[in-house]
Amino acid sequence: MTDATMTEFALPRPRAATADHPVARALLTATAMFFIALFLLLPLITVFAQALKNGVSTALAAIVEPDALSAVKMTLIAAGIAVPLNVVFGLAASWAISKFDFRGKSFLITLIDLPFSVSPVISGLVYVLLFGMMGWFGPWLREHDIKIIFAIPGIVLATMFVTFPFVARELIPLMSDQGRDEEEAATSLGASGLQTFRRVTLPNIKWGLLYGVLLCNARAMGEFGAVSVVSGHIRGQTNTMPLHIEVLYNDYQFVAAFAVASLLALLALVTLTVKTFLEWHYADEIAAVHKH
Amino acid sequence: MSSAGALALPSTSWRTRSALPGFGLSLGFTIFYLSTVVLIPLAALIIRPWELGLSGFVAEVTAPRVLAALKLSFGAAAVGAVLNTVFGLIVAWVLVRYRFPGKRLVDALVDLPFALPTAVAGIALSALYAPNGWLGAPLMWLGVKAAYTPLGVVIALTFIGLPFVVRTLQPVLNDLSRDHEEAAATLGASRLQTFRRVVFPALLPALITGSALAFARAVGEYGSVIFIAGNLPLRSEIAPLLIIIKLEEFDYAGAASVGVVMLGVSFLILLILNGLQALMAKRR
Amino acid sequence: MSLVVESVAKRFDRFPALKGVSFSAPKGCFLALLGPSGSGKTTLLRILGGLEFAEAGRVKFEDGDWLALPARERRAGFVFQQYALFRHMTVAKNIAFGLEVRGRRHRPPRGEISRRVEELLSLVQLDGLGKRYPSQLSGGQRQRVALARALAIEPRMLLLDEPFGALDAKVRKELRMWLRHIHDKTGITTVFVTHDQEEAMELADLVAILNQGSIEQIGSPAEIRRSPASYFVADFIDSPIRPSAEQVVPFPETRAARH
Repeated sequence: MTDATMTEFALPRPRAATADHPVARALLTATAMFFIALFLLLPLITVFAQALKNGVSTALAAIVEPDALSAVKMTLIAAGIAVPLNVVFGLAASWAISKFDFRGKSFLITLIDLPFSVSPVISGLVYVLLFGMMGWFGPWLREHDIKIIFAIPGIVLATMFVTFPFVARELIPLMSDQGRDEEEAATSLGASGLQTFRRVTLPNIKWGLLYGVLLCNARAMGEFGAVSVVSGHIRGQTNTMPLHIEVLYNDYQFVAAFAVASLLALLALVTLTVKTFLEWHYADEIAAVHKH
Repeated sequence: MSSAGALALPSTSWRTRSALPGFGLSLGFTIFYLSTVVLIPLAALIIRPWELGLSGFVAEVTAPRVLAALKLSFGAAAVGAVLNTVFGLIVAWVLVRYRFPGKRLVDALVDLPFALPTAVAGIALSALYAPNGWLGAPLMWLGVKAAYTPLGVVIALTFIGLPFVVRTLQPVLNDLSRDHEEAAATLGASRLQTFRRVVFPALLPALITGSALAFARAVGEYGSVIFIAGNLPLRSEIAPLLIIIKLEEFDYAGAASVGVVMLGVSFLILLILNGLQALMAKRR
Repeated sequence: MSLVVESVAKRFDRFPALKGVSFSAPKGCFLALLGPSGSGKTTLLRILGGLEFAEAGRVKFEDGDWLALPARERRAGFVFQQYALFRHMTVAKNIAFGLEVRGRRHRPPRGEISRRVEELLSLVQLDGLGKRYPSQLSGGQRQRVALARALAIEPRMLLLDEPFGALDAKVRKELRMWLRHIHDKTGITTVFVTHDQEEAMELADLVAILNQGSIEQIGSPAEIRRSPASYFVADFIDSPIRPSAEQVVPFPETRAARH
């Protein structure tokens, strides 16, 4: 009757059945952008704007000042100990949980997630209750002249607690997804446990591991509440960067506070950039579901 | 691995035998590390308040200042969670369903509250909403005082909770098959009807989970709140700050009491929400 | 002719999904769109349902411009391949959905709706299962709920996308005859998509065979069996008969429009 070669009508393109009305779409987009600008972008801009209020040199001076440098050092020490320990733990826990079947597994996973649902202040408090002057081990520690609270070990412990689940929680679903076929194959081919782990497991999880380390490190360097409880706020000695910011801010040294804060904000931006990069390029090699 | 094991009768052991090595070592270290870093310290928290006796504990946590702080922490966290539920749903919807320039940037920015140290967020929000701040000044002109009031607490807790709702919703929204919306359209439903009756019920479990996570995080939040809160006892003093104050007074048992109540109530709320979710999941 | 499709064309990005498809079908006809995957059959069905949009061409149905209507005003009962049942609603709620979302003026009263739901449930032989959720049903039962839901809106046209694709062979055969039975009972113009030639030939009044976005042949199963219009058709329906030389139009312009 008719043929393809006959006149083609240029049809107007109606809205797809599942597309929103243009007005609704515009309104929703505007609302979302406004909310994000107000709650996320503006605070971020504020940090840099306040830091540079009196020029770059003032800001720089606040960063290279001895107390600030000592705070940077303190932060690096805390993260430098807490992150590797949590990586080892994360690898061990995910190996045990994903490659073996045993009773109580899901309970163990719940326990590993526990620190996420605990207030940072409580995370610090628990160590004061153990090692503080009036804590369970307080008298014994004092007799032996060991300082944990108001000293570096306390800060490291508190940081370990709050960053405890990050690596494990990234690796457990990832390694469970990958199953154990490849490891079993390697074992049957005569590989030792360490060889299997290094040559089969690790290459499969490297991006997920990096992702976990990234998030763990960001939290370790930025932790405030937990560290605040155990540090004692001794300037130039037990202040980490976030604590130094608090001291400066409460001293009305706003520009200096924001200058140090902008260092941490830069760290956050780098973290977000790397994180986004990993999510774009290695989505399949990072665990499928991300709930922080 | 040993030949003796191969001859053994099938056991009712607590674990299934495996050809892979390293079980004992990895599980052993896991349990040791978990116990030292998390479990024993938490046990100290739970045991400590009882040196006051039950009546002492009750008196401690029902003191007006403690009650006011708990009310503020839980109340402001609830308001923040509700705000995040509404706006988080809109943000997630826009990010999943629409295309616009700069979308990936906005998407990455949603994680800012996870990545930005809380103290930095705290002083930034405080400067922003202070009476002479960029947002505080216009608000003052409108007769609203944000900084150093409970409203400031709500603002900080909304900031901290947003990514939880958005990040929980996004994958669910992505996986939502278009079929259901198309089916609704062919059956004559309008877009609004389709959203209300088809899309929203499918999102509800994730929405509740996201809000619960945002709420749980907000209840214990400290760093981003204390700068903007003003910390007036009975008015804008949050529970975590009260714990620190009690510690500074060497009132360990008092501090632990407040901590135990916070933990207990948080777990109770999460338990109820989990139950609610399980109830909804049953139908699927 | 009740359904007239004229030169309907559609591209996805650069890839032509439909290269100007034309055919017509009488009222109450049971039409099968048969072809391999990627032949454009599902695209055509979705265009008829208002879920996809033609870039060129026209569709007339019962003398109206069918493509001018948005999906929700077409009253085309669409049965999705994976059924697309609303998981959070009971079977009865699923079936009632199309009636409950109508404007107040057109909505039947509550009692009427539940009466209709009961009727449809017994039509699809699922009496008493109205309170179940879709997850509590077997594949074949879900398929029948999807059909009942589409029938509830008293559709002017029934569109089915691989209606038996997700079912095992035995259930398939049963449902096939039953679908034919329902069609004969209701007399609704029905279009269904399938890649199974046996299914199409056994079930339909009219079979349109698609290949790479064009119709190779359209006709009754008997006609197609008797004289396949191209080697492609002969191959696809496993016919021992080869097309006669004069019938074969050079590929890919092969097309025979009928009615």
